Amino acid sequence: MAMQGLVAGRSMSVRSVLGSILWAKQRTALHTLASVRRESKLKVAFVSISAVLFWIGIFQLSRLGFRFLEELTSTTVGTGGLSLSDLIMARMLSVFALVLFAMLVFSNVLVSFSTLYRSREVSFLIISPISTSTFFLGRFYECVTFTSWTSAFLGSPVLLAYGLETSASPVFYLALVTFYLPFVVIPAAIGSIVTITAVRFLAHRRRPIWFGMVGLALTGVFVLFRAQLGLAEVATTPSFQSLVTVLTKVQSPFLPSTWLSQGILDATTGAIGDSLFKLLLLLSNALALVWVATLVAERWFYTGWSSLTGGLGGSLSRRFDVSRVVDRLLRPLPEPTRSLVSKDIKLFWRDPAQWTQFVLFFGIMALYVANLRGARSFAGQESWRALGTLLNLGASMLILASLTTRFVFPLVSLEGRRFWILGLSPVTLRHIVWQKFWLSVATTSFFTVGLAVLSAIQLDLDRITFVLSVAGMIATTVALSGLAVGLGSLYPNFQEDNPARIVSGMGGTLNFLLSMLYIALVAAGQAVVLFWSGVERVLGGGSYAWVVAAAVGWIALVTAITCMLPLHLGLRNLERAEF
Amino acid sequence: MIKTERLRKQFGEKVAVCDLDLDIAQGEFFCFLGPNGAGKTTTIKMLTGLMRPSSGQATVGGVDIQHDPVRAKRLLGYVPDHPFLYERLTGREFMQFVAGLYRMKDAVFLQRCDEVLETFEVLHVADQLIESYSHGMRQKLSFASCFLHQPQIVVVDEPWVGLDPKNIREVKTYLRDRTREGLTVFMSTHSLAIAEEVADRVGIIHRGKLLHIGTVDEIKALTSGQSEGLLDSGESGRDQGTLEDVFLELTRQAEEGVALVGDAGSGGGTKYER
Repeated sequence: MAMQGLVAGRSMSVRSVLGSILWAKQRTALHTLASVRRESKLKVAFVSISAVLFWIGIFQLSRLGFRFLEELTSTTVGTGGLSLSDLIMARMLSVFALVLFAMLVFSNVLVSFSTLYRSREVSFLIISPISTSTFFLGRFYECVTFTSWTSAFLGSPVLLAYGLETSASPVFYLALVTFYLPFVVIPAAIGSIVTITAVRFLAHRRRPIWFGMVGLALTGVFVLFRAQLGLAEVATTPSFQSLVTVLTKVQSPFLPSTWLSQGILDATTGAIGDSLFKLLLLLSNALALVWVATLVAERWFYTGWSSLTGGLGGSLSRRFDVSRVVDRLLRPLPEPTRSLVSKDIKLFWRDPAQWTQFVLFFGIMALYVANLRGARSFAGQESWRALGTLLNLGASMLILASLTTRFVFPLVSLEGRRFWILGLSPVTLRHIVWQKFWLSVATTSFFTVGLAVLSAIQLDLDRITFVLSVAGMIATTVALSGLAVGLGSLYPNFQEDNPARIVSGMGGTLNFLLSMLYIALVAAGQAVVLFWSGVERVLGGGSYAWVVAAAVGWIALVTAITCMLPLHLGLRNLERAEF
Repeated sequence: MIKTERLRKQFGEKVAVCDLDLDIAQGEFFCFLGPNGAGKTTTIKMLTGLMRPSSGQATVGGVDIQHDPVRAKRLLGYVPDHPFLYERLTGREFMQFVAGLYRMKDAVFLQRCDEVLETFEVLHVADQLIESYSHGMRQKLSFASCFLHQPQIVVVDEPWVGLDPKNIREVKTYLRDRTREGLTVFMSTHSLAIAEEVADRVGIIHRGKLLHIGTVDEIKALTSGQSEGLLDSGESGRDQGTLEDVFLELTRQAEEGVALVGDAGSGGGTKYER
């Protein structure tokens, strides 16, 4: 061993402070990758294949979407030379870049909060003799890496589909990579600035003020976005003209997304000078924002962090203590279920990283429902209505899948090193697992079923489709809760306290991919019903009731398997585990 | 080497540390004692720059930890009760990382690394991932990384968790030997026997207030006059109890004193919350 140490020692050299932080991250990532070898081969194979299939699925869907848009525009207003479809497709790239930009800002706010304030290594680094700017840059690098690889994974199939549909030259792909790197730094810097500023001024405030600020910020951004882009017009009087207007507004010269999309298009059309200018715009703004973020961190990070850690040890607000309300509401439940549920809700409520994300989630859902009003205009057209209903269901289920993966899957892991408390108590593991399942069903269905009813009303659905949509949502809530609790028990991570990190592991990925698979299977059943409904109206016949019955049977079967099998396997795993 | 002047930390109405004045000399082994929630960890957090004081000042090696944190932290080493270590690094990689944070020269690091790993008996696992270490091994690695950059001041927060008796003795001896070479040790502990054995001076904190400070003998002597019938021994002719007896007696008296102030409704002292 001494010999081994000597050999390793010779190759070692001490780096700069920032270099050391980044080097430690890189070594950690390499060791984590190497640890995949110790995972079950079946699990690794399944996750890898599912990820590839998921990527291909997005690619195919994007390709179909782009093709549909091209055909729609070329047949509607076909012109010679530079066709309208070319113009629309060019603007679609701007839309994609803007959506990506908004998503990155949003996710960076969340990621930078957990990376800068909640991570366990923060205390360790603060005690070390490093300046705040070095500390910030090290953590910032982690934020950028974390958010950019996710957006690269999800965005690459869309952009590849775009490139293929527009027959783009290889320069397009080269420009994509070149522009993407400075582009992702901008939302990361904005996210860090927002987070550090918010923590500095809100950390010592009471929770309702946090709620108010988060709600206000979300509403403000939405109203601004809607007004700036004229989305209200498209929603109320949808026309091709209003769509083109929105697409044009998306290309504001002050938006980094425009520099990205236009820069890439300039590169592909050979306008190298223009392209280079946009690349420099991105680069200079990225560097300037990192500089500003570093200044903000130097000024406010430590004060905010100190208030946040100090505040955590403080007493609870007497005026707004939700736990008392929770205890009162849970009174009818028998023990020990009541204690278990009460503990889960209190822990969730007292962790700002958890509930702020939860609030944001439902803020987005509410905005989605509010915007569905516009879809009524299409309600008269049969094909649009069927497609709209299906897309709405798909969107609602996707939101639910993200919700269960992010909040329900980590529930068992979060028991962490405290699992011995439950393990030693006179409560069976079966009881604990089922309690988490029912808690998940009860809390998520409160929102998701409400969402399904509201969106069904907004879309003006007929009675059968209405019932099917809502029943489908209830089934999905049960299935995805069972899946998340089951897989959370099958692949628990008792070493990690940060739920966001628990989810980013193998088990969390598997949970999300299987949720997607389930949604695809349920959506297929509902698509058949919607399709058959249309066929019956045109051709007549009496087989519709049979088709509905078959679809219901199919959804029930898929739901039962998705819910029960993981729960059974997860419970078996916990019963065999040694704590 | 460690100096605090009217150091105070308040969380809302609650005073966690109340106007603390300390002056610890170079080469001194200082033990900070107090019951749970007395303010020991909050004091340590302010001394190490983990927490900003509400008022007052803390300097280490003559450097204000708030005004020039980087320079102050170069002088410091810290061993927490539950150390954070990067689970997915090997012990040696972790040491290399720490060396980078302290800007150590390659040659110095190479010479020191195996030396301290050997001293704290973790050299044989240095190339294994930390996630495979037992709690005791993690604690020993934490000590090794603390001494890697040869700090002038070491702050230790209840370091005995997870260490076996042999390791406790070795760490004690090591710390004691280093203080003879000029190292200043500030140790927070519940283990009164250890404090009695190693400390040059002891400070007793209770509900954020420093009750007494002095050598172990001076502290023991504090209750000798009034101890008859109060201390466990209760034997006539015996003036001093063990440090444990004295500690319990002093904190009990402080507890009663607080209760009396509260009962009398006077606002003369610090306002405490139960």
